[in-house]
Amino acid sequence: MNLTAGELSAIMPLLIPALGACLLPIAALDKDQASVKWIRASMFFIALLALTGGFFYLTRLWASGAQPSFGALRMDRLAQFGGIFVLVTAAMAVLQLWDHLHAEGWVKGETLSLLLFSVTGMMLFCATGNLIVLFLGLELLSLPLYALTATVRTRERALEGGMKYFLTGAVASACFLMGAALVYGATGSMELSVIGPRLAAGPLDPIALAGAALLLLGFLFKMSVVPFHQWTPDVYDAAPHPVSGFMSVATKGVAVLALMRVMAVGLPAVGPQFRSALAVVAVLSLLLGNLAALAQTSVKRMLAYSSISHAGYLLLGFVAGTPAAYAGVLFYLLAYLAMNMGAFGLLSALGLVGDEVGFEQLKGLGWKRPGLGIAVSLCLFSLAGLPPMAGFYGKYMIFKELILTGHVSMAVVGVLASLVSVYYYLGIPVALFMGKPSQQAEREAAERPAVLAPLAGATVLICGFLLVLLGLLPGTVLDGFARPAAEETVRLAR
Amino acid sequence: MITAWIDSHLLSFIVFAPMLWGLLLLPLSERQAPLAKLLGLLGSFGILVVAAMQLLHLPADPMGQVFAERFPWFTAVGIPVDYHLAVDGLNLWLVLLTTFLVPVTLLGTWNSIGKRAGTAVALFLMLETGMLGALVAQDLLLFYLFWEAMLLPMYFLIGVWGGDERQYAATKFILFTLSGSLLWLVALLFLGGKAGSFAPAVMAQTVAGLPFPVQSTLFLAFALAFAIKVPLFPLHTWLPDAHTQAPTGGSVLLAGVLLKLGSYGFLRFALPMFPDAALHFALLLAVLSTVAIVYGALVAMVQTDIKKLVAYSSVSHMGFIMLGIASMTVIGTQGAMLQMLNHGISTGALFLLVGMLYDRAHTRKISDFGGVALKMPVFTTFFLIVTLSSIGLPLTNGFAGEFLILNGTYVSGFGWGRPLACVATLGVLLSAVYMLWMVKRVFWGPANPAEDSGTAHLHGDLTSREVAVLLPIVVLIFWMGLHPQTFLAQSESQVARAVAQDRAPQARPAFLSAEVKP
Repeated sequence: MNLTAGELSAIMPLLIPALGACLLPIAALDKDQASVKWIRASMFFIALLALTGGFFYLTRLWASGAQPSFGALRMDRLAQFGGIFVLVTAAMAVLQLWDHLHAEGWVKGETLSLLLFSVTGMMLFCATGNLIVLFLGLELLSLPLYALTATVRTRERALEGGMKYFLTGAVASACFLMGAALVYGATGSMELSVIGPRLAAGPLDPIALAGAALLLLGFLFKMSVVPFHQWTPDVYDAAPHPVSGFMSVATKGVAVLALMRVMAVGLPAVGPQFRSALAVVAVLSLLLGNLAALAQTSVKRMLAYSSISHAGYLLLGFVAGTPAAYAGVLFYLLAYLAMNMGAFGLLSALGLVGDEVGFEQLKGLGWKRPGLGIAVSLCLFSLAGLPPMAGFYGKYMIFKELILTGHVSMAVVGVLASLVSVYYYLGIPVALFMGKPSQQAEREAAERPAVLAPLAGATVLICGFLLVLLGLLPGTVLDGFARPAAEETVRLAR
Repeated sequence: MITAWIDSHLLSFIVFAPMLWGLLLLPLSERQAPLAKLLGLLGSFGILVVAAMQLLHLPADPMGQVFAERFPWFTAVGIPVDYHLAVDGLNLWLVLLTTFLVPVTLLGTWNSIGKRAGTAVALFLMLETGMLGALVAQDLLLFYLFWEAMLLPMYFLIGVWGGDERQYAATKFILFTLSGSLLWLVALLFLGGKAGSFAPAVMAQTVAGLPFPVQSTLFLAFALAFAIKVPLFPLHTWLPDAHTQAPTGGSVLLAGVLLKLGSYGFLRFALPMFPDAALHFALLLAVLSTVAIVYGALVAMVQTDIKKLVAYSSVSHMGFIMLGIASMTVIGTQGAMLQMLNHGISTGALFLLVGMLYDRAHTRKISDFGGVALKMPVFTTFFLIVTLSSIGLPLTNGFAGEFLILNGTYVSGFGWGRPLACVATLGVLLSAVYMLWMVKRVFWGPANPAEDSGTAHLHGDLTSREVAVLLPIVVLIFWMGLHPQTFLAQSESQVARAVAQDRAPQARPAFLSAEVKP
């Protein structure tokens, strides 16, 4: 097969992580005890190399302004944005995994391989305008995640969580496939760019509407939006901390990006119906996510419910539906990447393992690791939407568009929900800086060897720094990065 | 070169230098805490000197905007946000008050911060940045950002260095304040979207074109955020908790500056931007303020904890300020301007004094004391002077402010002004009752005979450091009482403009306005 340079550059960003994913199990074959340290290090090195390679390739592609395509694969601005987003998230997750897996005593090559396969799937998912390829991407990103959830298979809860994720995820995938089939039946095409005009041409076909609804269900499941959210707390709780962070950020992010493309290109005809449906689920997610998070004693379950509520904020941007709102959603995703990876990274950086990490275990640790404490506090303030952190500007952009398009009441619900969220997000800084560890906890801490997780700690510091940077220069990032990608989507729709 | 930069960016320097200085202090270790405290004090004192040198000899009224800095900062989506700082008649003295109170706080609480003093000093300096930024911000979104940025340092100051119930108080503080300001944000975005700008003047024009119900809703959203900060009855419940649990320095700045930003918000934004709605709700505001005056005083009277008593007296005094603003007269509003400064100095000083007493006796219960005057005569003298100024005795600062406010309320010409002024005057009387009764029980009489009483723990009078903190405050108290005009000169025309939009001119009899003129 002969590839032109353009076609090659379209698939290269996917090929690089895929190649890494294929190499890793080979490296993991060696069972020799003497060299095991080196093998582990080289595994992580290969994974990082694949991710950074893909990252640099994509940033150069972005800078050159080229938008190559290969068959159904379109490496356009939106896809490049999604690729960069996923690769950065994955790189942070790999750094955190190094520390976390060592703390768990479960360093295996397949973990990283699965992660890279999932990354490939995610990049494919947000880089295609064909429903079948979209489904391929969905499966390629989901299947490794099911396995990753249960990767520390000595823990009972991990197995339970992985199974739960797999079963519910399989149903969602089936719905997605059925939806694609129905849309195909109604329009005779799998290409979004063909489906769009055909649907818009005549009166709305109920079969197409049903298909579109099923497609939407698939996206909402991946975004963990109410009422498709029940798996989220259990799965996040079960998975290793970095994997939870990766799932919460990257899966949600690519689902948002792909939905953006599908809504803009393929299904503008059902836009009004979609918007009202999304308004309902967004409000439900905001309410349920925030209220349920209030009651959690486990940090990861709290973050899981909080991620449900953040899906709600992102969907509010879809409800507004203007190009500026989409740009705001993309900016929000960037902030969300830094703040959520930082929050999950804290757990790895403190070396907390086991089935449940409660707020109790964090008490007083902020004073022992001040840099880490400050950085993660910045992440949580940002999650809570307190200015001048980046999370505030994300909410600001989305709420502003909501208000300008006349959805004032939804904006009010949004701000009230974020008020509630302040309470539980502050629970972590409160525990870190204001709580006193119980005597028993102090004794236990003294017995345990001191935890030094430099890589995970570094990711948290980077996240805190990124949030401040995004907060100081919201305009630059928005104009330079988020807006071109969003406008690309809108341009495609025309 | 640096001085040239500072000259052209004076306000940016004053606003951000404390935060940067504070960040530099953060890495200092626990053993270097004295160094951190010293550096923090020197830094904040330097800011005071720079601010005083530049701001004390400004052109007289009308001064307009001076030291203005304006450039587009963040124009990304639709509405441009300007980085626009300036000093004008409304904020000049509040800026000076803030720069004055921070070094006073740091020096006054030198030994009472306890552990992790370096971090606390850094937080105080960051708080100063938030407060000053909010005061000089002329763009509403910028104001909002600084307004929210103030919360976090205060949150940590209460939550880490506070009393036993500190986490509860800190959380209550932040949630209460945010609940108002988030709804305000929605109103702000709504209005900003309509106006295409966050400049108050542009937004005011847009407001004039909106139907009245929309105007009222927006005004209420603005008013809610400011009223929670003030705090206006019945939104005051966070204040006593925050004050009692906060460390001394936190209380001083909370009472001294943070609360003022609520009333300042009314004066700068809520009233001038929504003249019709403000007029419509003026009676409501005035009644709530009067209730706050009397209610705060009555509750203060029955407190057993000195600090809580001062906290409730704050509710009462802030009620006076809001009453002056709600009177919508030049004279009443000028009184409110003066009273903001008065309250910042007197109540700040009271919190400092209570802190000094607490550091020695480790209790704040009134019944634990008695006969303190015998053991600490110098302390008692200072306490008495500040008490009298808080009550509003003629010749002290409190009198001038309260007099102007009551006067303005009385002549406000709405028909309700006179009864409200009469009821509010009752508040002055009540403040004498609760303060002097507390002074009597704490300071006069024989020493408390109980072996474990607070009085028994008092050893030694004020140190020279503490006297050095209190002396400038006392000087200010008398200066403001004897010559309030110094502090009112720059604000009159701007206040008149803000009020003129709200009120028909007959409410400002010529002889009364003349009285305030030099």
